[in-house]
Amino acid sequence: MADEKPPEDALSDLRRRVSAARGDGASNTPPPQSPASLAMRFGGEFGAAIIVGALLGYGVDHFVHTSPWGLVAGLGLGFAAGVVNVVRVAQFYSRSHPVEPDTPSAVDDEED
Amino acid sequence: MANDPIEQFHIEPIAALEIAGLDASFTNASLAMVGGAALAAWFFNWAMKPAAMAPGRAQVAAEGAYDFVHGMLHDAAGAEGVKKFLPFVFTLFLFIFMSNMLGMFPGFLGVHHIFTPTSQIVVTAALALMVFFTVIVVGFAKNGLKFFKLFAPSGVPIVILPFVVLIEVISFFSRPLSHAVRLWANILAGHILLKVFAGFVPALIAAGGFYGVLSVLPLAMTVGLYGLEFLVAFLQAYVFAILTCIYLNDALHPGH
Repeated sequence: MADEKPPEDALSDLRRRVSAARGDGASNTPPPQSPASLAMRFGGEFGAAIIVGALLGYGVDHFVHTSPWGLVAGLGLGFAAGVVNVVRVAQFYSRSHPVEPDTPSAVDDEED
Repeated sequence: MANDPIEQFHIEPIAALEIAGLDASFTNASLAMVGGAALAAWFFNWAMKPAAMAPGRAQVAAEGAYDFVHGMLHDAAGAEGVKKFLPFVFTLFLFIFMSNMLGMFPGFLGVHHIFTPTSQIVVTAALALMVFFTVIVVGFAKNGLKFFKLFAPSGVPIVILPFVVLIEVISFFSRPLSHAVRLWANILAGHILLKVFAGFVPALIAAGGFYGVLSVLPLAMTVGLYGLEFLVAFLQAYVFAILTCIYLNDALHPGH
C-alpha cells in the first residue's frame, strides 16, 4: 500500500478535509418555498387567528350572556392577533432568507 | 365512480371493530398510517444495518435525514431542545413524510388505491394538538408559572398590556389550527387537482376525434403536477417539523 499512515490518522485527515470542504455551519439550508405555499402560510396564520378569536368571543358570550359583544371583541382581537402572526412569519422568513447586500434597491417611481 | 375526484378520500373499514359502542374499525386510513410508520422503521433498520464507516447510498440517506432534523431542531431550540425533543420531532417528520410519499402511489399489490392519511384533518389535527399539549405540559413542568411570560412580552407599557396579553393568547391558541390546516389543505388540494386533471384525459378521449388529440395537454399537466406533488410532500413534512421546533422552543424559553 502506498498510503503509509495508520488508519486513525487517515480517518481524522478525511474528517478534516470533509469539514473544510463543507465550510462552517451545518449544510442545513431550508428547501426553496414556492410563492404559493408562502401565500398559503400567510393566509392560514391570519385566518386561523380570526377564527380562534371569534370562537373564544362566542364562548364568552355563551357563558356570560353578553351577546353579541364578546363576538365583536373576539373578532377584533383575533384580527389583531392575525396581524401579529403574519408579522412573525414574515420576520422568520426574512431571517432565514436574508437579502444579498449587492441587490439593487427598488426604483421609486412615485412622483412626489 | 372512478372519475370522482374525492372518491380517493373515502374511508372503508377493513376489519370491523366496536369498542364501548364506538366505531373503532381498522380502515384503509389506519392501514396507510401503519404502512407509513412501518416503512420509516423498516427503511432505517435496513439502511443502518451495515453501520459502515464509509456509508452506502441508503445509509447516506438515513444519516442525512437524521442530520437534517437534528440541525433544524438545533437551530430553533438549541442543544437543550435537541436533548429533549429529537425523538419526538424526528418521529413526526418521518411519519408525515412517509405518509405523504406513500400517498403518491396510485396503488399496487391488489390495493385499489393507497390512502393518504394526511389528507384527513382528523389526522393532522391530532398531530398538531399533540405538539400543542406537549408545549403546554413541558412549558409548565419546566418553567412553572413563568410560562405565562410567553403571553406578556417584556417592555410593553402597562396601559396596553391587557390587550397584548389577549392578542398573544389568541395567537397561541390559533397555532394548532393553522399548524393542522396547512398540512391537510396542501395535501388535499394537491390530490384533488391531480385527479381532476387526470380525469380530463379519458373524458377527452371518449369525446373522440380532434378532442382525443387534445388529451395530451392534461396528460402533460398531470405529469408536471405529479413532480410538484413530490416536492409538496417533502416540503409540508419539513414545514410541519420546523414549526414544531419553533413551538417547542417556546416551551423551553417562554420569555421573548
